Amino acid sequence: MTGRIALNAFVALAAAFLVLPILAIVPAAFSAQSFIRLPPDAWSVRWWSTFFADASWRVTLLVSLEVAALTTLISVVAGTAAALGLARSGARARALSTALFLGPVVTPAIVLAVALYSMARATGLVGTTTALVIAHTTLALPFVVLNVGVSLDGVDRRLLLAAAGLGAGDWRIFRTITLPLIAPGVVGGAVFAFVTSFDEVVLSIFLAGPTVKTLPVRIWEEIRLAYTPVVAVGATVMLLLALGAASASRLLNRK
Amino acid sequence: MSTVHFAGISKWFGSVHALHPIDLEIPQGEFLTLLGPSGSGKTTLLNICAGYLAPSAGRVVVGGRDITALPPRHRNMGMVFQNYALFPHMTVAENVAYGLTVRNLARDEVARRVADVLRMTQLEGYGERAIRELSGGQQQRVALARAMVIQPDILLMDEPLGALDRQLRKEVQFEIRSLHKARPRTTIYVTHDQEEALVMSDRIAVMRAGRIVQLGSGADIYEQPADTFVARFLGESNLLEGTVRSLADGQATLDVAEFPRPLEGRAANGLRAGAKASALLRPESVRAQAGGLQARVCERVYLGELIAVRLVLDSGHELWSRRHAVEWSGRDMVEIGWDASAVSILPDASVQS
Repeated sequence: MTGRIALNAFVALAAAFLVLPILAIVPAAFSAQSFIRLPPDAWSVRWWSTFFADASWRVTLLVSLEVAALTTLISVVAGTAAALGLARSGARARALSTALFLGPVVTPAIVLAVALYSMARATGLVGTTTALVIAHTTLALPFVVLNVGVSLDGVDRRLLLAAAGLGAGDWRIFRTITLPLIAPGVVGGAVFAFVTSFDEVVLSIFLAGPTVKTLPVRIWEEIRLAYTPVVAVGATVMLLLALGAASASRLLNRK
Repeated sequence: MSTVHFAGISKWFGSVHALHPIDLEIPQGEFLTLLGPSGSGKTTLLNICAGYLAPSAGRVVVGGRDITALPPRHRNMGMVFQNYALFPHMTVAENVAYGLTVRNLARDEVARRVADVLRMTQLEGYGERAIRELSGGQQQRVALARAMVIQPDILLMDEPLGALDRQLRKEVQFEIRSLHKARPRTTIYVTHDQEEALVMSDRIAVMRAGRIVQLGSGADIYEQPADTFVARFLGESNLLEGTVRSLADGQATLDVAEFPRPLEGRAANGLRAGAKASALLRPESVRAQAGGLQARVCERVYLGELIAVRLVLDSGHELWSRRHAVEWSGRDMVEIGWDASAVSILPDASVQS
């Protein structure tokens, strides 16, 4: 019994350790002062007004959303196709390709950043949405491949045979049998892809330009100039969007 | 017309020879069962027929047309899978309608045919149910309905009753049989269950290690098995091993070591004088007979209307008898006998193949 209480207490402590610093940023965003202090001496939403009134913040939020949306779209389509291909290939090809797909995830971000930066310079893409989308896709794609791959493993191959026997062609089988059955994996992969892109900062710092920069990059730049609560607002906005994406996937996959 | 002709079909999986060249013709409307233990190649042959597997050699000819290279979706065959392979994300009606929707039939035509087939398989009112809400027996019916609704030229069934309990299995056997009698459609049925094979089939092909060992009606195979493997697989059997003493006019005489007298019986094909063989004596032919061989009743197994009795002869040989209960009541020492016509002399399966 005591062991159980001790265990629960430990779990609660660990959870607090993980979550509290994140939640602490929320009250900071509602401070009336011009510096971050916890808890704030006075409350207000003035920094929210600042955030949304300032075009430089608004634009970065839109850039972030645009890059994340494009990254998600490309990753989901390409990643699902890749997972389907992997599921059909032999064990050796599958192991090799899976290792390749996971490469960008295990490579240190800074190495990837330097590599992508030199490629972007050579092609004149530094500071463009295209560069950010390509960079984020290299990171987001593996999550889709993995998620969809796990879902595909759970699909009984005989269902596909049954559909073929009933007269369905490959595309119809994919549309009516495979896709509905792997939908949870696709949605999960999409959320991972979106959050990965939205939250990415290392590659983005290298590839962002004066006009095209994402919200995390803007926060990073801001914090080096002034540690004002507007930074906390930016972080809270990101937190809300991440939570929204996660809840959306839960809702979509419930049924 | 949907005759099926397997012409020299063989199949290798790597270095494993799963099917030795098989030649088999199935006439239009026949219910043929591929009967054999697991690994005998029966499901492989079925999958080759459906187009899910390509044969290593040979041709599949349906109604005179070579369909060996035709993809499954163009074969118009209805397949019932072992664990049904129902689409879990669709309702009963959507599952059944799948093959019709694929054929781009009009919506009301689809609805009418789905309703028809649900009535025929006693699933009326279940159309909107989810698959996971159904019992095993109901799922089996949905699988059958989904395969039949497309009016397939050939119906293929792979151990469709394996997952059902015994009572239900019996009921469904008779349902499948009456559906077949009402509208005969060329059917290939795969099972390892001899009773299923006997109840439903016009003909049975007994398979072993990638070959068809015997092909014939249930009665043919039960009464005149080709060898000891078939005898063991279909029905209960007493097999006495011995050596062929003589062969003449389709009759053989077998010497069985220590047995009180030589055994005479119908000679199966493939016997040679002097070679090892076995005498088959079905338990139902072993009866009490005054003046017959002396035997002791060692075990009685109550089977309801019948009783199975283990008899041990003075020579030490064991025979099972399966007769009406009254015949063996009371006594422990009995005299037994059988009609000479009830004995078959069979080659040993291991020697033959």
